[in-house]
Amino acid sequence: MKTNNSIAAHSCSGKKAKTTLKYFGWILLSAVIVALPVKAWSQASPLYQKCLLCHGRPGFKKLMPDGKVLELFVNKSELEHSIHAKLHCTDCHADVMEIPHLKVPGKVNCYRCHYKDNPNGAKPANEFFQSVHGKLVTENDPKAPHCQDCHGGHNVQKVDSPLSTVNHQNVAYTCGKCHKPQYDNYIQSIHGTALLDRHIKSAPTCTTCHGKHLILKPDNPASSIYPLNVINVCSKCHENKELIRKYNIPGGRISTYKESYHGIADEFGSVRVANCSSCHRAHLILPESDPRSSINKANLAKTCGKCHQNANVNFTKGKIHINYKSKSNGILYYIGMFFEILTLSTLTLLFIHILLDLFRRYKSGEIRGKNKRGE
Amino acid sequence: MEDKFKTVKEKIAEELQKYALDILPDREDKGLDEETQRLVRDETTEGLDAFLNIKTKNIHKIIKKQHALKIKLDKKQEWQKDTFQRFNIYFRIQHMMLFMSVIILIITGLPIKFPNSSISKFMMSIMGGISTQGILHRIGAVLLIGFYVFHTLYTIFNKDGRRDFVQLLPKSKDVKDIFQMIKYFFGFAKDKPKFDRFSYIEKFDYWAVYWGGIVMVGSGLIMWFHNIALSYFPKYVYDIAREAHSDEALLATLTIVIWHFYNVHFNPSRFPGSLVWWHGKLTKEQMIDEHPLEYERIVKGKEGKND
Repeated sequence: MKTNNSIAAHSCSGKKAKTTLKYFGWILLSAVIVALPVKAWSQASPLYQKCLLCHGRPGFKKLMPDGKVLELFVNKSELEHSIHAKLHCTDCHADVMEIPHLKVPGKVNCYRCHYKDNPNGAKPANEFFQSVHGKLVTENDPKAPHCQDCHGGHNVQKVDSPLSTVNHQNVAYTCGKCHKPQYDNYIQSIHGTALLDRHIKSAPTCTTCHGKHLILKPDNPASSIYPLNVINVCSKCHENKELIRKYNIPGGRISTYKESYHGIADEFGSVRVANCSSCHRAHLILPESDPRSSINKANLAKTCGKCHQNANVNFTKGKIHINYKSKSNGILYYIGMFFEILTLSTLTLLFIHILLDLFRRYKSGEIRGKNKRGE
Repeated sequence: MEDKFKTVKEKIAEELQKYALDILPDREDKGLDEETQRLVRDETTEGLDAFLNIKTKNIHKIIKKQHALKIKLDKKQEWQKDTFQRFNIYFRIQHMMLFMSVIILIITGLPIKFPNSSISKFMMSIMGGISTQGILHRIGAVLLIGFYVFHTLYTIFNKDGRRDFVQLLPKSKDVKDIFQMIKYFFGFAKDKPKFDRFSYIEKFDYWAVYWGGIVMVGSGLIMWFHNIALSYFPKYVYDIAREAHSDEALLATLTIVIWHFYNVHFNPSRFPGSLVWWHGKLTKEQMIDEHPLEYERIVKGKEGKND
């Protein structure tokens, strides 16, 4: 304000007025330079206004040489509500240099921004290239899924947004686009119906078990669904006391498994032995009461028969997840108790006998040595 | 007076001859074993050799050797005179089979019983994983089953086996012995109970192994051939077998390590252990101390025969 007053006061002097104008011009120019991008950012749409001249028209498509029709329509509102709303079209479609572009633009490379050491998403990118999907991408497999195949192209959203394709609710559908049989099984399973039909947020979806970016094949020891690691995946929820109480899930599944021979062999690194998914299946997991379930009494012999030859109806006579300390096991509990009492009483008596024997030997001087005996 | 004129060498020769003559008659009777007979033969011939080659320069060395041999021989004869063959060769082989199999079974089995302990994980890694552990455990099992079969045949067809089995049956005297022992422990009685061939301690050990064998082999076979077993029995039979196998294993292990090891290794009169399991023999003193009734019976029997 002070400078403005002085400018007004000395405006009569022509030379001085010229210099002040010059300064004023510079100040104005710098203000415009600073303010313009801010204004542009706040009103994003003009940035892709030009591209939308063509791509904004519904039904904009192109017939490719191989006979396929390429949809080229871009939904403006989708773009405006995506997390990348403030970016230029050419920020992602970096190979478009002129309008109209003569070449078909290449696949968008998200790695341009989400590169290593970039805090805005370097970790997922790094993990992705180690995963089974990322390896296919590096091998230039035409079927390999790129970032945009899961996260969406123009409609990319934050994960916690309900519109996101990789949202907890939607990711199963996204995975199912390629993994159809698994998706079909999943949506029938207790997990799928809980999440998709009953909208229970804690219910697991694909990524809960398989991981997000670092998805590995089941035969890779680092994979979360490697036979030895399956138990860790399931125990995330099935050993969670809060979830067990809230949703009335049968408890003690993991602890009883660990007590069984299957669990012990699993603990010692046997890959052959049955883990959770061997009996309960991986995707079509259903409660025992469901006739489709692999652990339904009617199907149990068949399920056990996958490993155990001659498995018959005898396999269903008796519990599978046995808590040896529970009275509900009937005879098993009493046999355990019988042996407990037998062991404790026998050993107590034997121990007393040993102590008395030592006591007697001490008294008669056998232990103390001959010299001390008489003294 | 003649002695004075004898040379030193001649005197030595006489001594040697005496040695040889002292020992020679022993060869005939007393039922010396082959090794002793060989020792006697060697000594005699060497003595006579020395006698004949009296002018050898190394005569003093020969005498020294003769002396050492004589001492060794004396000891051996002393030992043989006062020992009693407690366990015959079949009995000893059975015991070896039993302890070898039990050691294998305990080492390979305990990690399964306590899968979460770090020692178990270490043992499992030494054995090379659970599949190798399974093979080793089954090898132990075959040896143990072999022992039981051997023992049954021995008990039926061997004279000593039949006698031992009868002697091992519990009698009312065992209960009396236990009370006598308790009295002795507290100083109310001056003497230990007089045991026959098997004390109540040994009888307990025998019948514990009998009971353990039935439980362990029975349940073990159900688990080994679970696919066959489960085609005949419901699953809870398998579960019972598993529970019994696991619990009885712990009971047996603790009994062996605490009770049996105390009785045969750690107790002050036995420490660090005797070799009865190897040669099966007891000295007269041990016999009188531990099995006085049997000793008396044997001595009486011998006297009776002599008469």
